[in-house]
Amino acid sequence: MVGKDCVAIACDLRLGLQALTVSNNFPKIFSYGSQVHLGLTGLATDVSSVSELFRYKVNMYRLREERDISPQTFANLVSSSLYERRFGPWFVSPVVAGINQTDGKPFICGFDSIGCIDFAKDFIVSGTASDQLFGTCEGLWEPNLGPEDLFETISQALLNAVDRDALSGWGAHVYIIEKDKVTKRLLKGRQD
Amino acid sequence: MRGATILKANEDKTRQLNKHTLMAYVGEAGDTIQFAEYIQANIQLYSMRNSTDLTPSETSSFVRTELARSLRSRSPYTVNLLLGGFDPRTSKPELYWIDYLASCAPVPYAAHGYAQYYCLSILDKHHHPDISLEQGMKILRMCTDELKRRLPIDFKGVVVKVVDGEGIREVEYEDGGQVLAP
Amino acid sequence: MADRYSFSLTTFSPSGKLVQIEYALNAVNQGVTSLGIKAANGIVLATEKKSSTSLIDASSSSKISLITPNIGMVYAGMGPDYRVLVDKARKVSHTGYKRVYNEYPPTRILVQDVARVMQEATQSGGVRPYGVSLLIAGWDDGVLPEQERKEAEAEMGDDDEAKEKQVKSGGKTGGILKGGPSLYQVDPSGSYFPWKATAIGKSATSAKTFLEKRYTEGLELEDAVHIALLTLKETIEGEMNGDTVEIGIVGPPADHLLGYEGVEGARGPRFRKLSPQEIEDYLTNL
Repeated sequence: MVGKDCVAIACDLRLGLQALTVSNNFPKIFSYGSQVHLGLTGLATDVSSVSELFRYKVNMYRLREERDISPQTFANLVSSSLYERRFGPWFVSPVVAGINQTDGKPFICGFDSIGCIDFAKDFIVSGTASDQLFGTCEGLWEPNLGPEDLFETISQALLNAVDRDALSGWGAHVYIIEKDKVTKRLLKGRQD
Repeated sequence: MRGATILKANEDKTRQLNKHTLMAYVGEAGDTIQFAEYIQANIQLYSMRNSTDLTPSETSSFVRTELARSLRSRSPYTVNLLLGGFDPRTSKPELYWIDYLASCAPVPYAAHGYAQYYCLSILDKHHHPDISLEQGMKILRMCTDELKRRLPIDFKGVVVKVVDGEGIREVEYEDGGQVLAP
Repeated sequence: MADRYSFSLTTFSPSGKLVQIEYALNAVNQGVTSLGIKAANGIVLATEKKSSTSLIDASSSSKISLITPNIGMVYAGMGPDYRVLVDKARKVSHTGYKRVYNEYPPTRILVQDVARVMQEATQSGGVRPYGVSLLIAGWDDGVLPEQERKEAEAEMGDDDEAKEKQVKSGGKTGGILKGGPSLYQVDPSGSYFPWKATAIGKSATSAKTFLEKRYTEGLELEDAVHIALLTLKETIEGEMNGDTVEIGIVGPPADHLLGYEGVEGARGPRFRKLSPQEIEDYLTNL
């Protein structure tokens, strides 16, 4: 979700096999460098594999270029990496959120499993509760929210959406990303 | 088991990976032992080469990566795993749930297969983060009793192993008593 | 069979030298002189276009090449080897970068990629080193040197914050891209050097001495072109005109080369070659 000079990204913590909950401590947001964050929904094994793949790729980028990767460049890296597996894809729908350190502008985008980028200036949703998230985000989001208001908005949007999805929930992680600060908050949420 | 026939009733479906990490496995007959021994050999090789053991979390990462590689190969292993270990650096016990798709999660308690449906609810109710071994064994007894009571197949008892700071040891587990459904 | 028994031609001599590389450098040092000068707002690459006979159609051959819209290259040494390297540089800038990140490589990354190609030729079986030295000039988007200086001065006001920021962006793996012009030389061995101004080829030594005298900090691009032509004049053997001198510049975005207009945010290439007419104009003002 985009705010004024800030972005937020949030995920639930459930890991399950269909209706059976296996773990309630499985974060789906990963940090690459100071400001760039990647959210991954989909097949759990690919969430782990893809997050590790990008950790490797971004670390190599940082060593080669002696700088942090920008969210835009990272988004294109995600896209080309996913499309590389066009005929045997990773079963994930990633979301990228970050702030470009050069111009200080927020950036978010989403992808399908083969890397088609979906740019947005408001919000991106993904996962089993995406239908519900579209509803809550459409209803709660407004332009130019400050960091605290953005936190409240994204948290309410996520919690209320996952409460209406049997396959999501069990607490949440929320990241508020500002130009030189990232705040991570843990939400308890409904434990049932 | 081979079809409907029981071939062996006391097979130990665990492998010790190093001094304080134990892996239990279930799944396709040939795959299980093949994969478990492959992992065991590689973890032991690491210990020999580097004169230090992998911690349980490092081990879980290695096992997951190998299983994930296998998943997208021509013939994937169909093996579900539980990895129990004691991390000597943090002095904390750890448990990892890994399925044949190479999903991996650190968990306080876990089960695979049909047993999940019976055991997880009991564990949800009775497990606390700071229970002692004795209390744990009591909950385990409740679980096996429930399996005997509800599971339509006779699973011929369980092997119980404990992993702690001293290492891994098998403990006696009285399996004789008949449990009847109420 | 050929691949199994193809040993490297480049082997160490007992004194620790790789003579094949030294021979390659000899080839470079017999080549036509090329030079590059970095200015505050751009770079100039210049070389002499020599032809043995007046029957050659000079306008259809060229020694300065565009690699990416913001990076250009010139050489001293063997022409055929250079064209192979131009092809490889253009290819690697796409396969190794644009197709992955959807943007062109920064100058240093491209230089490293080209340098790797040249280094591999000193260690592989069945090949000889490239008989060229290159000058690669490029412009990178990012924080410009003067901008950075201004920001640093502004921050000196409150010391604590400045220090904190220094810690944050410090270290080799943090921070953001330093933008602006950069000029590199790449040698047959695969080693590369960043320069403010340099020359390669036959009269490199005398040209460098000349450049040392003429170069000043904070040079403007127009002055750099002027100095480049003066330097070339010292070393050139034949007549100097728009057909015998070749100049490439890295400067402000050349939007007229875009082929279209009216698209917001579309930028033309920063690297472009000067036309013979433009060169003639500079020469008359010399």
